[in-house]
Amino acid sequence: MKMLGQILELASSNRVEIPLIEPLLGMLPPPLSELAALPLWKPLFAALVVPGFATLGLLLLLLPWIERKLCARIQWRVGPKEIVSWLGGIIQLLADSLRFLFQEVIVSRDSHRPYFTQFVLLSFIPALLPMLFVAAGTIIAIRTEYSVQIMLALVCLFPVFILGMGWSSGNRFAFVGTVREAFMYFAYEVPLILSVIAMLLVFGTGDPVAIGESGRLGIVLNPLAALVFFIATAMGTSRLPFEIPEADQELAFGPFIEYSGITFGLAYVLAYEKLYVLSALFTTLFLGGGSGPMIAPLGELSGALWFVLKVIVVMVVFAALRAIYPRFRLDQALKAGWSSILAISLLAIIISSVEVVMWA
Amino acid sequence: MGIKRLKMPEYSFGDKVKWHAAAVGTAFKEAFFPHTVTVHYPKERRKFPDNFRGYILFDIEKCINCWQCAFVCPANAIRMKEAPNKKYYPTIDYAKCIFCHFCVDSCVGGALRTTKIHDVAYADVNEMLAETEQLMEPPEIVREDRRYVEYVIEEDDVRLRRVKGQDYLLVEPPPRKEYSMVCVCDDPESCTGCGTCADVCEHYAISISIEGEYKVIRIDTARCTGCGLCVKECPLRVLRLVRREGEQ
Repeated sequence: MKMLGQILELASSNRVEIPLIEPLLGMLPPPLSELAALPLWKPLFAALVVPGFATLGLLLLLLPWIERKLCARIQWRVGPKEIVSWLGGIIQLLADSLRFLFQEVIVSRDSHRPYFTQFVLLSFIPALLPMLFVAAGTIIAIRTEYSVQIMLALVCLFPVFILGMGWSSGNRFAFVGTVREAFMYFAYEVPLILSVIAMLLVFGTGDPVAIGESGRLGIVLNPLAALVFFIATAMGTSRLPFEIPEADQELAFGPFIEYSGITFGLAYVLAYEKLYVLSALFTTLFLGGGSGPMIAPLGELSGALWFVLKVIVVMVVFAALRAIYPRFRLDQALKAGWSSILAISLLAIIISSVEVVMWA
Repeated sequence: MGIKRLKMPEYSFGDKVKWHAAAVGTAFKEAFFPHTVTVHYPKERRKFPDNFRGYILFDIEKCINCWQCAFVCPANAIRMKEAPNKKYYPTIDYAKCIFCHFCVDSCVGGALRTTKIHDVAYADVNEMLAETEQLMEPPEIVREDRRYVEYVIEEDDVRLRRVKGQDYLLVEPPPRKEYSMVCVCDDPESCTGCGTCADVCEHYAISISIEGEYKVIRIDTARCTGCGLCVKECPLRVLRLVRREGEQ
């Protein structure tokens, strides 16, 4: 009992302040109200609701639908329509995932069975751990000076898991896709890290809350870094101009070709999870995080709302790329990554250094 | 034999920015005001022209049992079947039919006519043989459509126009223009005066007379009904049916 009291005291000391539901909590008797407020404990709230699980889950259900619908409109098609047709087929992905759940998971004879089945689940480590360091406004699970760096390091782990999935599939298409993924990793990783370093130079800290509260828009401070980060994100998440590892038309989903049933569903949302993390990083670094007009009744949730809205806008822009650009060849993407994009990222670092020196 | 090498077109930086902006602008425009041309078929139908080649209907009153439809059918889909009145009427095997509508075009009496029905479903191949009785009634189809869609060309682009209400599927055939024909001899000098045409004519419109040392054919156009029997029988093929003068 003493321990529970300590936990409740700790939780109530660091609570997400939402004026809208404070009176509701006040109506309950003391021990109950503190128990009910436990999910409002900031680290728990950040991990479970926003920007963590609930937001991620909702976006994973919505974003593929938004992408399909948007691309269909741009290409004079209709897109998903039949499931709940009066809402335009909005729960299409829910229906798909139900179907995946009931499908048989086939593990092919040539695959390396333990790795094949484990890697698809293990790949959630780099997808979900960065959630702890994303700041939605002031809501953050673990606040450190090095949040951005840790997020970037975890995101850079993604290709390792994709390589593992492709290698353990024992399929030639998967293998070609894996090699392409490795090449793409070479192409985008250095510019991505350099552009983040440029922004860290400007802000002087890796703490997303401090970056958001500084009130400076990164995209204005250093547009070249934003451009490089944007292109590197498109490369890293296999969005269409750089959809080289997956390449539906020639490789049939590349490294994930052998997956079926629910494991396919998990592999399918993997790129979207990476897109969410990188979009959150883009929003934090370049779009001012959760800054925006304060909505008084929502309290701290107001910043989170602005943050999620910005992330959605960034993700929709990435989704629209699919309808606009055709695919680059692998050598073209590699050449671009190591020549022009690298050059722009170095320029971005120079711009940041000049800004730092001038303001110092 | 030199090899011609193609060079990549060179674009300046300004050109590239311009084309990227054009691509993104088009996508942005279409995302908000899409020009989608999809017809949501069961819920709406495309409006087809009246001469659409669809399901074929048969009118037994107009049939003259000439077998032309069965002769002309390139897919051998039409077979003539004997009716209790000892006459032969067409049956259409829709498993074979290629919807060329040669039968409709060649029908002398206008007994076969087209409809705009294109979505008849059958349970198996044997059912697809439409007997004469089935051909006389329009087939049963399920209609869920509440509006129909027309393609119109506006501003040099295809657009959809949706109209409320159901489109009609049964088309009345256009009124037939009937011409009265008359027999003429194209080449009297080749005529041998064999008299076959005069023998076969039921209305005594053709006669053979001897003028000097030649036999000459004379055709009484007032009596000729344009039946064409003489044209068919003439061994030298010098007789021909033409439209009667004074008619268009």
